[in-house]
Amino acid sequence: MSQLYDLRLLIESTIKANGLDPMDVKGKIGLRSGRMLAFITPTTEDDPAAVAKLKQAVKDVLNISA
Amino acid sequence: MRWNLIRTKVLAALAVCLVVGVGGILVLMHFSFARNSQALGTESVGGAQKLFTILEARETSKMVAVSETLLMNPDVRAAFAAKDRSRLLDLTAPLYSKLKSEGITNLMFHTPEPDMVVFLRLHNPEKFGDQLNRFMDKEVVRTHAMVEGNELAKAGFAVRILQPFYDSKNEVIGYVEFGEEIGQFIHTMKSQTGDDYGLLLSKKFVDRKFWAESSAMWKRRDNWDDNASFVVADKTTPNDAIIQFQGDLSVVPAQGEVLEYFRNGDSVLVRGIFPIHDAAGNNVGAMFVVRDISAFYLSMRHTQNVLVLLIVLSLAIGIVFVLTLLDRLVFRRLNHIIVVATRVVGGDYETEIRVSSDDEVGQFEQLFEQFRRVFVDLLSHLPEFQEKPELQEK
Repeated sequence: MSQLYDLRLLIESTIKANGLDPMDVKGKIGLRSGRMLAFITPTTEDDPAAVAKLKQAVKDVLNISA
Repeated sequence: MRWNLIRTKVLAALAVCLVVGVGGILVLMHFSFARNSQALGTESVGGAQKLFTILEARETSKMVAVSETLLMNPDVRAAFAAKDRSRLLDLTAPLYSKLKSEGITNLMFHTPEPDMVVFLRLHNPEKFGDQLNRFMDKEVVRTHAMVEGNELAKAGFAVRILQPFYDSKNEVIGYVEFGEEIGQFIHTMKSQTGDDYGLLLSKKFVDRKFWAESSAMWKRRDNWDDNASFVVADKTTPNDAIIQFQGDLSVVPAQGEVLEYFRNGDSVLVRGIFPIHDAAGNNVGAMFVVRDISAFYLSMRHTQNVLVLLIVLSLAIGIVFVLTLLDRLVFRRLNHIIVVATRVVGGDYETEIRVSSDDEVGQFEQLFEQFRRVFVDLLSHLPEFQEKPELQEK
């Protein structure tokens, strides 16, 4: 699996664990990282820049370090 | 507080309006007060000057009437013609006593020219034979007609009339003089207006020795050294502090002038001055007027406070109204667009943007909703979505 997909799974598990609105949280992270999470699949190739952006977005929105 | 927000900027702009509005009112009220105080001060000085002139004219008329009556008294005329001082005193003392209670302080008989000495002073019978040599004395001798005006003499600064006394052959046998202390006027003026007055005499026209003697005679403190260029002849207040004048009495304008506004404890007062001329037309002194304008000042302050309160209240209501309006018409609707746009990116392709109006924001809502539909349609045509529907968020 790719790093990007791992991050997607982390995001989804955090949303579920905290009872957050998934559309709202994923939307905010998507807008910040410039990537729709729905398009990140296990086969999505890792791009260091994209990974860094997504990590930063996760930190900004969920306040967790990925 | 986030300064990048329109809400914050609008709030700041309204707060500036509030400060400018209140500041403007305060400045306006300050100038209004200064202008009204100036008008009130001018009116005080002008009113006092008119009142003084009226009192002067009234007392002069009174003295003229008494003088005419005295001139027609054959006994008095005979005693004066016979130079019988004792008889003249007996005849006129009861009259003088009555006149004194009416404010006439001086009654004198003068011998005719060329000597023109005091023959009898009703207010000081033991003293006679002295020559006064005043402007009015010279004028009555020159014209042989009644002379009236203010004259500074040893008995004080008084409004006087001086009239020739004719015998049965129509020859001048002497002169009769009546006088009333001007200092008394200010007490009458105070009782009528409530203002305080001070009678100032220029030192140029007052002899130092005379002032010391007259102070002793009237049992008053010798205040010669209190002021550099004038002496306070009389005043209606025991408080010397309110009589403050550093200028030259001889240059006080004929119509008087307002000097300043000042505070004395809780009171707000205005000072003014107008000149007093003697019979020769010299600016011998001035009348100092002090009016208490505290009531006006408090009323103005009350109006100012009410206005400030009204402005603050109206602007506060205005701020709440404008912010509520902005919130309803702009911010809340923009926030809805942001929420929907965020959710679309998060995978919610169902929630639509409500177009709540056809105003500017409404047009934007409509445009964004159209954009959202195009975007969702575009997504639905992507191979990833068609081939892997499980990627679609629920």
